[in-house]
Amino acid sequence: MRSTAKNGAKALVEALERAGVEKIFGYPGGNVIDIFDALSTARFDFVLARHEQGAVHMADGYARALGRPACVIVTSGPGLTNTITGLGTANMDGVPMVLVCGQVPLAQIGTDAFQEADTTGLTRAVSKHNFLVHSADEIPETVAQAFYIATHGKPGPVVIDIPRDCQRETTSAEYPARVALRAYHPEVSATTSQVNRFAKLVNSAKRPVILAGGGVIASDASHDVAALARKAGIPVSTTLMGLGSFDETDPLALGLSGLHGEYAANAAIAQCDLLVALGVRFNDRVTGQTVSKFAKRAKIIHVDCDPASINKNVTVDLGITADVKELLMTVDSRIHSAKHDEWLAAINGWRRPRTEGLKPLHKGVIMPQAVVEAVYSATKGRAIVVTDVGQHQLWAAKRFRHTQPRHFISSGGMGAMGFGIPAAIGAALARPGCKVAAFLGDGGAQMTSEELIVAVERKLPIVFLVFRNSSLGLVRQMQTHSFAGRYFATDLASPDFTLLAKAVGMKGVKVTDPARLDAAVASAVRFKGPVLLDIEVDRDAEA
Amino acid sequence: MKEELHRLSCYVENRPGVLARIVGLISGRGYNIQTLNVGPTEDGTVSRMKIDVLGSERVVQQIILQLRNQVNVIEVTSRRL
Repeated sequence: MRSTAKNGAKALVEALERAGVEKIFGYPGGNVIDIFDALSTARFDFVLARHEQGAVHMADGYARALGRPACVIVTSGPGLTNTITGLGTANMDGVPMVLVCGQVPLAQIGTDAFQEADTTGLTRAVSKHNFLVHSADEIPETVAQAFYIATHGKPGPVVIDIPRDCQRETTSAEYPARVALRAYHPEVSATTSQVNRFAKLVNSAKRPVILAGGGVIASDASHDVAALARKAGIPVSTTLMGLGSFDETDPLALGLSGLHGEYAANAAIAQCDLLVALGVRFNDRVTGQTVSKFAKRAKIIHVDCDPASINKNVTVDLGITADVKELLMTVDSRIHSAKHDEWLAAINGWRRPRTEGLKPLHKGVIMPQAVVEAVYSATKGRAIVVTDVGQHQLWAAKRFRHTQPRHFISSGGMGAMGFGIPAAIGAALARPGCKVAAFLGDGGAQMTSEELIVAVERKLPIVFLVFRNSSLGLVRQMQTHSFAGRYFATDLASPDFTLLAKAVGMKGVKVTDPARLDAAVASAVRFKGPVLLDIEVDRDAEA
Repeated sequence: MKEELHRLSCYVENRPGVLARIVGLISGRGYNIQTLNVGPTEDGTVSRMKIDVLGSERVVQQIILQLRNQVNVIEVTSRRL
């Protein structure tokens, strides 16, 4: 290709186009002003957040809903430090993202210049990889490498720090035809003997359980997991990150397991003789604090694309570093059809009625679980569910029947309050035509409420459901049970969220009467643009 | 689990920031580096790091796997001292 001279900023914009970027989330500033000038004539849809944390969470929601890498551009110094929580969230949950950040000119690095921050130092622990560019010539290749790294192996966020002089100097460097990384080769696959052992363990199991995690969604393996489950008669539980990877209306579905999981799912894992763990990393929320007691009667198979996740938290009998989908496709012909009627009957005996938690604790006060049920029925289960972090997150995880991958978006590993509002905006931008239900606590909703106006600007079909219990409920619940009810710093005064909504031009409706709940939710779901429901729920309800 | 001294031998790309990344990965998980030695190899684009770290076999194996996941790490081997 004929090379043409351009400045580094233009080279960056061209490289992002070549990388397939369509939307960019971000916030401008002095040390990225040249990049924004180049963006002004580019074809990207630029989404201006109101805080850099919001920009990264939006990009995160976008990438999770779409299954493609997102792009963020922020300025140096405070622009970058504001992204740390967002990067950490994406890093823990394996969300592909490339974040470009301005930097002071090369000669000023290390001088405590205005809006200078040590970007590579600050982001090292919260990103998959980072780059500090030293010349405009490096920009196209660095962008190509960043997208490769973000999307290969376990996905994650990659940071590119570009000093201002590199944005301004001239280069004729072109986007590389292919990416060549000397040391990073994350492609992995199972050996024949591992495939045979997998099939042998599955075929000889009497009480098998599949545990499906976020890796199933990342590798697009939902259909393959369902095929294995149905063929070999294996019930399936999911982690929080795996919700939607297996249709919860299927009789084989056990739902969420772990600390806040379903009783039947946890009982099945405790009693099973084979646990087939696919795309999970055995976080402590999944195994409980005493890892030696987790699935203690079972042989454990663990398949994950990240070699470092195998035998990290749980010692397994068969660890396979492979892409989940590829492995399941390979093993399929070796799996025998089976039914485990006795085992499934035992599990069905452990299931609790779904009406549990819906019975009012106090007359005339809305149960928070009923809000989730109302959204499920008003959207016929088809909404993309986005949550913040706390009790409402667990109610949404457990009560909504998740049927499709990329329809449950939540900060799993990091548990970052403030994720919900911007992530819902990102998800709605990723999937036009899909209704998004954003479940929020009144705590988390106050952390990133500045982003609500973006939903109005874009006329996004989001129903923001604020569970008002005037407390930081999940922490309060811990104070109830572990600290003899010594409540401290968990009572919360919250604004009238309907007025907050009105202030940004959004429709806001207050809901306090249980008898009016279903109608209010149904009407909000029918509303075309963004709408916020401020719902007073019983503060004594527990997750 | 018994803690022993292990010597990790790492071949890494000779670039700015790689040393900090490797050291950060080990120290950030709460493990103390006893000895650290970094120098160039005959191939000037590759550096060799010798890292002595105290830990159980399991912990050291985990560190090795995490090191191998790093984009700039070419090869890692270890032996007990």
